[in-house]
Amino acid sequence: MSDGFTQPLTLTLGHLYPDQLNLYGDRGNILTLRRRCQLRGIELRIVGLGIGDALAPDEYDILFIGGGQDKEQAPVAQDLHEMKGIGLWAAIEDDMPVLAVCGGFQLLAHYYRPAEGPDMQGLGVFDAWTIHKGARTARCIGNIAISWNGQTLVGFENHGGRTYLGTAKPLGKVLKGYGNNAEDSTEGAIYRNAYGTYLHGSLLPKNPHFADYLIKLALQRKYRSDFDTGQEKPEEFNGHIHIDQMPVDDSRQLESTTDNIASSLLPLDDLLEWEAHASVLVRLGLRNEATAVLTAQRMRKG
Amino acid sequence: MRKQRPSQSMPPKIDGEQQESQNNPSQSTNTVPQRQPNRKKRRQHVLRAGLAVVAGRAAGAISRRLHLGGGTSVVGIVAQRIYPEIIEHLATQIEYGTVIVTGTNGKTTTSGFIATILRDSGLRVWHNREGSNLMRGVASLFVIRAQPNGQMRRSGKRAISILEIDEATIPQIVKAIEPRVAVFNNLFRDQLDRYGEVDSIISHWRKAISQMPATTTLVLNADDPSIAHLATGFSGKVLYYGIDDPSLDLQKQRGDSEQYQVSDARTCSNCGHEYRYDLRFYSHIGHYRCTSCELQRPQPDIRATQVQLDSFDRHRITVEHTGQQHEIIVPLPGLYNVYNALAAITAAQAVNTDWQSIITGIEQSKPAFGRGELIQAGDRTIRLLLAKNPTGFNEVLRTVFSEGIARHVLFILNDNIADGQDVSWIWDVDFERAVGHTQSLVVSGTRALDLALRLKYAGIPQKEMTIIPYMPLKGEWGTHQTRQQRGANKKQKKRQTLADPEQLTSQIANSYGLKSALDTALQQTPIGETLFIVPTYTGLLTVHRELEQRGLTPHFWEGKEV
Repeated sequence: MSDGFTQPLTLTLGHLYPDQLNLYGDRGNILTLRRRCQLRGIELRIVGLGIGDALAPDEYDILFIGGGQDKEQAPVAQDLHEMKGIGLWAAIEDDMPVLAVCGGFQLLAHYYRPAEGPDMQGLGVFDAWTIHKGARTARCIGNIAISWNGQTLVGFENHGGRTYLGTAKPLGKVLKGYGNNAEDSTEGAIYRNAYGTYLHGSLLPKNPHFADYLIKLALQRKYRSDFDTGQEKPEEFNGHIHIDQMPVDDSRQLESTTDNIASSLLPLDDLLEWEAHASVLVRLGLRNEATAVLTAQRMRKG
Repeated sequence: MRKQRPSQSMPPKIDGEQQESQNNPSQSTNTVPQRQPNRKKRRQHVLRAGLAVVAGRAAGAISRRLHLGGGTSVVGIVAQRIYPEIIEHLATQIEYGTVIVTGTNGKTTTSGFIATILRDSGLRVWHNREGSNLMRGVASLFVIRAQPNGQMRRSGKRAISILEIDEATIPQIVKAIEPRVAVFNNLFRDQLDRYGEVDSIISHWRKAISQMPATTTLVLNADDPSIAHLATGFSGKVLYYGIDDPSLDLQKQRGDSEQYQVSDARTCSNCGHEYRYDLRFYSHIGHYRCTSCELQRPQPDIRATQVQLDSFDRHRITVEHTGQQHEIIVPLPGLYNVYNALAAITAAQAVNTDWQSIITGIEQSKPAFGRGELIQAGDRTIRLLLAKNPTGFNEVLRTVFSEGIARHVLFILNDNIADGQDVSWIWDVDFERAVGHTQSLVVSGTRALDLALRLKYAGIPQKEMTIIPYMPLKGEWGTHQTRQQRGANKKQKKRQTLADPEQLTSQIANSYGLKSALDTALQQTPIGETLFIVPTYTGLLTVHRELEQRGLTPHFWEGKEV
């Protein structure tokens, strides 16, 4: 179903600090994006951006930054400021989709204040900040589910710092778990198309709707900049794309009507993904949500 | 082959002033100087210790009687309640002292090797069993071997204890015991939700090492940069071991598939610059040096100059020590077991064991519980290969799929506390290696779906796997199933589905639980062939219990030593 493109669509993913920030299976997010692109005939090039590498915003279509050990985060924070800050800002202001998980999320907020020692400065993309309240405050560890655009996102969180949002919008509302700070039920942060979150596990494999959403944002941005990205109404792009709206398996059509591309990513057989998703919901005691997810899948299957 | 015991295995001496035993050929100069607490205090302690021993052992007996389990850890818990310093008290009585073994992977196998070697050399070896590697497990080990008068059996004469110690328990154990030898094998990311990050383990270990007396000998893996430089500032003796066989370099072994290796020690512990590898064997294990400062892999004292795969589960290694070469068969699969053997050889050297005992000890070792353990199940063979973290799993996969033969495999992924509740590490495992190399594949465990998804993204078509989750995932799902219901489910028998449109979970085999997974995997394995079971920790316990109940293997707490 993925063949037949004469001129394949290509996207380039910039993977920031793949060696330093790769603690919680972040590779899963990359593998998921790559495979989901591949199955639709989209070529996803992956470029690792390590310490010392510059970030030229026009070379990438989507960026990913993961989480790492404390020791690794300090040099990364410095490099982020000195080498990649301007490029990253330009990319984000230009609506490039960015996914920042865990430590990456913290680095894109204003600062990280450890229990001892000086603050670690972040980029300030998200109007948010993180405070570590010392060893006596328990880490936020466990499975987590949040609501996002009327659907659920599931993952695993493990963070010592508490993140507080200023004007930044949260990614979602915590259904079960800790979230940003275990106090206000917010999880993650959004600025334009940049998404920060504590969810790993990995995040994207079990949340195919979110993975596809990011891919769509990247495609829209690259292939039709004037396309109504529908950021205000992202649910249009999520979940159930009806069979009759699907592009026929006809490369001509896809090739010629690029505006179709983004709104209608070829649906994949994601039953296993959704079952894994639902099983986490069930583990968290969210049975209604799990049933909803599985029922939606059944309806999609017809 | 057991060496002849010294003619007087129990010198007629009672307390403290232990002199060197002249009769002992291999350990003649190596008894541990014992601590001499003042006598009065000691008497009180003896009383309390006696009480603790009696209470602990009684609790253990009751627990076993009531079938609450092996009744091993309860012994230690009760004894420590009554006398918190019980470990300290009893450990000082052990004539040949204590060898502690830690590291992320290989603790059980390494300490098993050491125990076999030292037993072969004629010592009485007290060795904590797999899984009891926390303080209470150590307390149990000692209390079971102590008498109601608070003394070790035979006053600990000719005894040595080999303790596998959980990474995070090292600081506590070092406070209670002055180890004679401390083996640090490797450090990889493991259960980040439980242990914290790798760096925090290193700082705990450094602190613990700084508290060790100069009489302790450190045995360190030269090839693991996180381990090799733990000794900085330590005043005692340090022995290094490592592999010096360039043919094992990953570059040279690169097969057709893209290899993914997680490195958990990327930058120099001294200056923070990246390491460069002249040879890399797996993960961050190899010959490294810092690109900026002087730091590099130390020259090992005990080195394997040649490592050859003899057959699937045997390595032939040439070990060099002070110019002498010894050829040894390591009867276990996996390069990591060569490291475990080297660690054991070096530890045995540290207590001056003769080479004959070392060689026979290694060669006669049996795989430890679930670590390459071979079990005959009727006409089929089962090989159990525990894999509990990315590097461990990668090495197990490398071992299973090394010969290019398509295998029959059962993967079990659990997320219980002892496994680590965060399963995101499976995305760091190189499952791509298994693609096209499985004849039959069953995926089970409490996180079967996560693992199946991982395998799917690795490129294994879903129709090539049978997914047997822990519980059904249905719309009305949620009320915990009773045993009877589960039994009923089992009776429904496996239909390998996709057929039933009513079933929401249409891709999943219509059966649940590890028993069914085991049955299915065995059914899919033809007669005369081997089923490889690769479980996480609690998965291993469950599978083993199941195999025990089927009479295929003895109960694991029915060790030979007690």
